[in-house]
Parts: sequence; C-alpha cells; structure tokens
Amino acid sequence: MSASGLVTGRSRRGHSGRAFGTSVRYVLLIAGAFIMVAPFIYMISASFQSQAYVLTIPPQFIPNPATTSNYTDAVTSENFILYFVNSLIVAVISTACSVLLSSMMAYAFARFSFPFKETIFRLLLVGLTIPAVMLLIPQFILAKNLHLLDSLPGLIFFYIAGSLSLNTFLLRSFFATIPGELDNAMQVDGANAWTRYWRLAIPLAAPALSVATIFTFLNSWDEYPIALTLINSQQNSTLPLAIATFQGQHSTQWGLVFAASMIAVIPVIIVFIVFQRYFVQGLTTGAVKG
Amino acid sequence: MKRSSKLGLAVVTAATVSLLAAGCSAGSTGSTAGTKSNPVTITFWGSYGNGGNSTQQDALNKTLIPAFEKANPGIKVKYTDIAYDSLLQKLTTSAAGGELPDLVRADLGWVPQFAQNGVLVPLSDSMKDYKALAAKDYPGNVSTNLYKGKYYGLPLDTNTRVLITDQAALAKAGVTTPPATVADLQTMAAKLKGTGVSLFADSGLGAWNISPWIWSGGGDLTNKAETKATGYLNSATNVQTIQMLVDWYKAGLIPNLITGNKGATGTSDGLPKTKYATIFDGPWMAGIWTGQYPKFQPTYSQIPAGAGGSVSVVGGEDIVLTANSTHQAAAEKFIRFTQTPAFQIAMVKTGQMTVEPSLAGQQATIAPYYQTFSDQLKTAKSRIASPNQSKIDAVLTSTLTPAFLGKTTVQAALDDAASQIDALLAGN
Amino acid sequence: MAFTTTAGRATDTTSVARPGRAISPRRRRRFSATPYLFLLPGVVIFVVAIIWPAVSAFQMSLYHWNVFNAQLSQWIGFQNYITAFQDPHFWQSLANSGIYMAATVIPQMAIGLFIALLLKKKSPTQPLFRVLFYLPVVTSWVVVSLLFKFLFDDSGVINFTLHDFLHLMNSDVSWLANRWTALFVICLLGIWKGIGWSMLIYLAALQGVPESLEEAASMDGANRWQRFQAVTLPAIRPATVFISVMLVIGGLNVFTSVQLITDGGPVGQTDVVLTYMYIQAFNFTDFGYASTLAVILAVIVFVLALLQLRIMRTDDAEEPA
Repeated sequence: MSASGLVTGRSRRGHSGRAFGTSVRYVLLIAGAFIMVAPFIYMISASFQSQAYVLTIPPQFIPNPATTSNYTDAVTSENFILYFVNSLIVAVISTACSVLLSSMMAYAFARFSFPFKETIFRLLLVGLTIPAVMLLIPQFILAKNLHLLDSLPGLIFFYIAGSLSLNTFLLRSFFATIPGELDNAMQVDGANAWTRYWRLAIPLAAPALSVATIFTFLNSWDEYPIALTLINSQQNSTLPLAIATFQGQHSTQWGLVFAASMIAVIPVIIVFIVFQRYFVQGLTTGAVKG
Repeated sequence: MKRSSKLGLAVVTAATVSLLAAGCSAGSTGSTAGTKSNPVTITFWGSYGNGGNSTQQDALNKTLIPAFEKANPGIKVKYTDIAYDSLLQKLTTSAAGGELPDLVRADLGWVPQFAQNGVLVPLSDSMKDYKALAAKDYPGNVSTNLYKGKYYGLPLDTNTRVLITDQAALAKAGVTTPPATVADLQTMAAKLKGTGVSLFADSGLGAWNISPWIWSGGGDLTNKAETKATGYLNSATNVQTIQMLVDWYKAGLIPNLITGNKGATGTSDGLPKTKYATIFDGPWMAGIWTGQYPKFQPTYSQIPAGAGGSVSVVGGEDIVLTANSTHQAAAEKFIRFTQTPAFQIAMVKTGQMTVEPSLAGQQATIAPYYQTFSDQLKTAKSRIASPNQSKIDAVLTSTLTPAFLGKTTVQAALDDAASQIDALLAGN
Repeated sequence: MAFTTTAGRATDTTSVARPGRAISPRRRRRFSATPYLFLLPGVVIFVVAIIWPAVSAFQMSLYHWNVFNAQLSQWIGFQNYITAFQDPHFWQSLANSGIYMAATVIPQMAIGLFIALLLKKKSPTQPLFRVLFYLPVVTSWVVVSLLFKFLFDDSGVINFTLHDFLHLMNSDVSWLANRWTALFVICLLGIWKGIGWSMLIYLAALQGVPESLEEAASMDGANRWQRFQAVTLPAIRPATVFISVMLVIGGLNVFTSVQLITDGGPVGQTDVVLTYMYIQAFNFTDFGYASTLAVILAVIVFVLALLQLRIMRTDDAEEPA
C-alpha cells in the first residue's frame, strides 16, 4: 500500500519529480500526524475546561472559557510533587539498570556460543508470555519475604525484572546486525570481551539502546498493577496511583485526570526527544567503512 | 586485560547483589512497624477519595482522625486511600500475603466473601457492646455483615436507590408529579411512546438494578433463609414484573443501556438532558449534577409502589476488622468512634449518608434531599448475603439480557437464573 | 513448568542438529565463563522475580486454590484445564483475543514501517513529526481507552460526524452494543496506539542500513520499490522479527482497553482471555481457574513466538546454540 505513491514520485529523477515526491511526503505526514494527534489535542483541550464543559458534543477543540484550574488543582492536590519525584526516581534507576543488564545479556546471546544458550533465551521469552496480572500474588509474597513491601527499591527490583526480557530480545536483534569483522578485529588487537562490549557494541548500538531506554522509562513511569500491589503508604506512592484515585466510584473529574496526565506525560516526551537524537543514519555504516 | 574484563563484570554483579541486599534491608516500614514503640499505629484502607474531590478524605484526615487520636492518646491512625476500582484487587492480594491493614472500609457486598475465607474477625464475638452498637443502625445495613450466624462488621455509611425524575420529561408525559405507583408509570408509558424520551433508564440487570422492581412488585429473589431461589425468583409475580420491563424495552421506552451498551448515554447525563424521564439512583447524583449541570433540578421521590409497596435496595460500606490485625483493641476503639454522632454527622456533611435512623432528622437539615433517601431506607432490603454475590449478579445479567433482546421468554430466563442461583447458594 | 521443559527439549535438538555454522570468534576456544558472567546478574533477577512467580502461578492452576489461606487449597490435578476446554466462554474470549491479534499486528507493522521510511531522512521538521507520531504511545491506556469510548459513544464524535455532519448514515450506530462493532473499535484503538511503537523500532533499525548498499543498488538502475525490497527489507529483518513476535504476544494479551471500553460487554461477548481471567481472579476469587486460563494463554503465545522465530529465521537465529 505504502510504496505506490513513492514509486511514481521517483520514476523520473528530475527536479520536478523530487519536488513532487517531497510534497506527497508532507501531505501524507501531515494527514497522518493529524489522525495521530487529534485525540491528544482533544485531551489537552478538555484539560483546560471546567468540569461542566468536558467532553461536549460536538467536540470543542478550543476551550472556551479556558481555565487552568484543573492544573492548579492537580499540582496542589496532596503530595503531587512527592509522587512525581518518587516516579522519577523509580523510573530513572529502573531504566538505567535494566538497559545495562539487558545489553550485557543481549551481547552474550549475539556474540558467544555456549551450552544452554537457546534454553536461557527461551526462558527469557517465557517471561514475555505470562500475563503479568497472574504474577501479582506470587510477587507480592516474594516481596514480603524479601522485605521489599511498600518501598521504592521493591518497585525498582520488579520493574527491572519485568523489562529484562523485552530489552534483551530487542538488543539481541540489533547487536546481531553489527558486523562480526569489527569484533574480530578488536579481538586481534587484544581487546577482551568487556572492552569489546563496552567500547564497540554499546556505541554502535546507540539507536537500539535509545529505543530500550525510551520504552523502559515509559513502562516504569506508567506502571500501575505492581505499584498498587506493593505500595501502602503515601510517602512511597507513585504518580499512576495518585491519578487513579482521581477516578471515583460514581463520578470522575475528567478535566483533572487529563490535566494530571498531561503533566505526567512531560518527562516521557523529554526522554523521547533526548534519546531519539541518537537515531542518526550512518553511525554504524560509518564504522563499517572506517 | 583478561582480568579487567572479569573486573567489569564483577562490578556489575556485585552491584546487582547489593541492590537485592539493599532491598532486603530497606522496607519493613509498612504495616508491621510500631509494635515496640509506645503509640500503637492502626492502619485503615478505603476509597474516600471521591473522583478527585477530596472533601471526604480531608474530613477524615484533618478532623476526625486527629479528634480520635486526641481522645485516645497512644493510638495513631494511618489512613490510606485506594482507587475504588482497584480496592478489591488490592485487598485480595494483600489478604493472600497476610498483609491486610487493621481496618477496611469495605463495600457491603464483599463482607460475606471475606468472612467465609476467615480474613475477618467476627465483631459480634469480639466486641461485647456489638449488639448495642448495631441496634442503633438500619437493620438492612447490619444484616449485610451476617455470615453463618456471626456479624463481621458494622455499617459505616449507607445509601439506597430512589426514584429521580426530570420535570421537563414529566411534562412531556402530561404529568406534574413523579409516578407514585407502577400504575402511574404505565400511564406515563402510553404517553411517552414515540416522543423520543425514555420512560426509565438503568445501566444493568444485576441484583442492584432489578431488586427494587421485584420487591416492590411483591416478589422475592429467594426464600427467607436465602438458601433457595427456585419457586421465588421465577414466581408468576416476578415474571409479570420483568415482563413489564421487557415490554417497555421492546417499545423503545427503556434504552439499551440496560442490556449492556457501554456507549449509551449514562443516567447522570440522560436525565438532565431530558432523554430519560425517570431513573433509580443514589444520593451521590446530587454532587455530580451540581458540578456538571448546575441548572438541573432533579426531583427525588419514593420508588413507585406495586403490590409489595415501595421497597428499594440497600447500598453502602461497612467497617471490618481483619484477622491479621495485631492491635485489635485499638482498632475496635476506632470502630466505636465511627458509630458516634460526631463521626456520622461529619461524614454526612461530605456526602455520606448516616447509618443511624436517629440522626436522619439532623441529616435532612444539612441537605433536604436526604429525607427521601432516609424514608426509603426504612423499608429497604439488602441483597442476598452470600459469598457468591458477584456470581449471582453475573447469572442475573447473563440470563435476563437474552429475555430483553427477545431471544428467550422471561419465564425461561428466570427459571434458568433460579436454578443457577440455587447451585451458588448451596455451594456456600 | 510445562513450557520451560518443552523449550529445553526443542533447544537441544537444534543445537545438535546444526553444529558449527557460527562465525563467532569464541567458537574455537574451549569452555569460557565469560558469556555466563554477562548473563548472570540479569538472569538471577529474572528468575527470582518472574520465573519463580510464574511457577507458583502454574502450581495454583492445579488446585482449587484458596487465595486467602493457601494451606486449605485442594489439589485437583488438571481438572481446571478440563473445565477450561469445556467452557464455551473461554473459547469465545480466546477467539476475541485471536481476532484482536490478527487484526492489529499487520497494520501496526506496515504503517509503522511506512512512517519510519518517511521520517528516516534528516530534515528540520523530522524531530517534530517523530514526536507527533509517538504521542499515542506515551499517553496512558486508561486515558486513550476512555477517549475512544467517548468518541464511539452513541452520541459521540464519530456518530456526530458520520450521521449529522456527513450524512453517511441514516441513524446513530450503537458501536459498543454489538460484538463485532465493539471489537472493531477496540482493534482500531490498538492499531492507532501501536503505530508509533513499531515506527520507533523501525527508525532505529533503518539507521543500520548501509547507505553504500542503497547507493550501489540505485546505480544499478533499481527503482525505489526494488531497492526497498532488495536492500532495506532484508537489512531490517531482525527488527521485523522482533516487532512481529512482540505484537503477537501483546495482541493476545490485550486487556486494559477492553476492560475500560466494554468491560467484556454486552454480556461477555467482547471478553478477551485476560478480562475473563481477571473476573475469575478478583471478582470470583477463583485463582486456580484464573491461573489455568493464564497458563493456557501463555503456552499458546509461547508456541506462536517460537514458530515465528523459526519461520522468520534471521542470520542471527540461524546461529546454533
């Protein structure tokens, strides 16, 4: 479906052809972006409306009258800043540890042959297939025995564990595309495994590591069921727990939920913007050529 | 070189192990703490955070708990608010790990199930003054705490469903006052046909939804001992009652919200928008409408009476003491505190109805519409007190929906429901 | 338990069947502890926090499990499994999960790849577009599910647009009152929310496609579509395998959106395996049966993942153990 527009745009390589191709590209991008962003804009707009005007039909994309009261209510609600900081601590540490540990595992899978390699890999795959909800009760009992209940280290421990499978699987597919000759060349120069991992594989896999970072941060930041299960006290609460309490049994102030969600999405977008910059074509190709 | 390689790995491994160790040494500041120190801390979980409206939680945390702590030096109360939709999940998981708090504000439908599994303390055994305390509350609420002859909790707050009407829709049906009887509703039904205004709307077919119709129609769901549904739920009276609703549904007078269309207009929107003429609902609607439809003036009245009178269904929450509480005496003190007029009236001011009929008059001075609810509560009944209550709801929904959709007869649906519920009641 | 042993056996056959095709430098050496040291910290955490609980969950499925007092649980062998296989509602919810998976995987991959190709080249607007296409991914499931529920409400924006504005329909459609239209809405949300995810992985993968290869191909007179097929597609194959395996897993594990949009309704018709499992676990406290449903789903998902890995074998996967 996708290629037909591009083929016609490309068959003549003249100036006009290229300009046509570019404009088709932009039309597609803008149309696509609108579809992707429209519900989000609806949400932003709702977050600036007072309760009475939320979710009106026909939809109001421009809030009138606009109010920032949802934002002030959300931020000044009890301990919102504390929950935000807790979430940040948990997400940053979980992400850093998970990306480090899973890249090491992925490197072992992609670069070494050893007994039980596929068995261990498939064990990791099992971790992706078990519905997380079913693990909650055993994990709760485990956390109790490890004295990890109601603590941020407890959350970090389970968030790291929960993200290892996906990250290892992802990074393994990327490490595998790094040409083996580079590894061999470094080994001939006398570099040991750790050096080759740290100085060669890691820099070359920057795009993949960025993807892993973006995903892990998002997942740890948004995680709800484990946090609900383990955390009992306000001082250890995270943002998703706080936002969930904005939804009531009989009624929910959607403006407030949306405003809090907008604030919550900011760190995730910042992480995305920072790390997507490592998607630079030619990083790996350059290395191969050099 | 080889050595430094191992070193790098060793550092990471060591860091991992120390993380685990750090986890082990941290924590344990939770619910188990505080036994050695002088003041005892009791923990209390509930869902007072009312959709971002913190007035109930504030009343508890800023007024009531400090007052209790002042009156009972040496006892500290730590309240944790949990999102309502997640409370049951959280309670189940914590119960599995033996980590429940001392006190829980539980939906009254959950109490028999928790009692059956031995996670609650029977208050009628442990508190000598239980009878005196319970005598002050609505009997319908007290009965929700009963499991196998013992009472496992005390009512904390209550609610019930009354008839709520929209004046503009009533005008379209040619009447000025809300229908007082089922016959009045029948008259309205004839007038509303083809107007686009629904006679009645509700969001499901569980016990909460259909019980007021069945009881007011003169029928029942089970025998008195709640051991048998066959012969009661599928009685001729009930077939007639449900058939009336099905006929209205088929005539377009009840929207498909009742058969599970999650996209249909909710009752809280449909009534003020004059899409629905009447609904059965609880006291919380007032707060929703003041925020969302400030101009809307709902009329509250008794459930339309039938052969059985005007009988509604009891809702609300109970306070229960868990079996793994290590501070039972202190927790019982707090339970007694929740039964005092000071506690009850403070919560009335935040929108929770009192469980004590003697306070109803004072309650009505705070918000007049409460009067209709407390009148209705005098005759309101509680749902079947069974550990299988959610399964009973599932049975009612799955058997009655096909009857509404015309795929089976009402008689067949009720026969089926009754035999399935028999099995569930026998399984207790 | 059941699946780990199967996995182990399958591995043994592959490792025996095709020895020594790796170009790995390590191959010539004798046994080395190095790869195990790389694996150790991660595997330890993983086994403790995921595999052990998974084994416990499997154990529950063999009991009439009493969640409040495990000692009172009754061993019933595979009775829960027999019940599940005879439970029409389980089959319907499995079918719904399967339909969701089948309907969402290909569109997410195709559209994600297409957008990644459009956004691959550096241009001043490229970072902005990347963020815009990624926005649905970062917005929480709770919020977007509710948003879609409102959009497809009987008096929602979609009905307003199709009926009152464009006059394409004579009356409003009750999207969520019918199994198929409700599943359609849930699938649409899944695709919409997942496109940015595949796009991101493809974007990263496309950075690894050597430009020299593309240039060579274009000098040979290959047009864009031919170059895409001959150069780009093979080069991003590992990413494609990863994305398809993950999306199949994620598709069969669909949960939050269904719970929030229809909650399985009307009368359980849109229940998927996980919503049915959740009701069994937390509303009916039948953890034995809930675990059984989880284990069956996990086995299906695991077998599908292995099949995919085998069919779409990459150079990397061909490397024997």
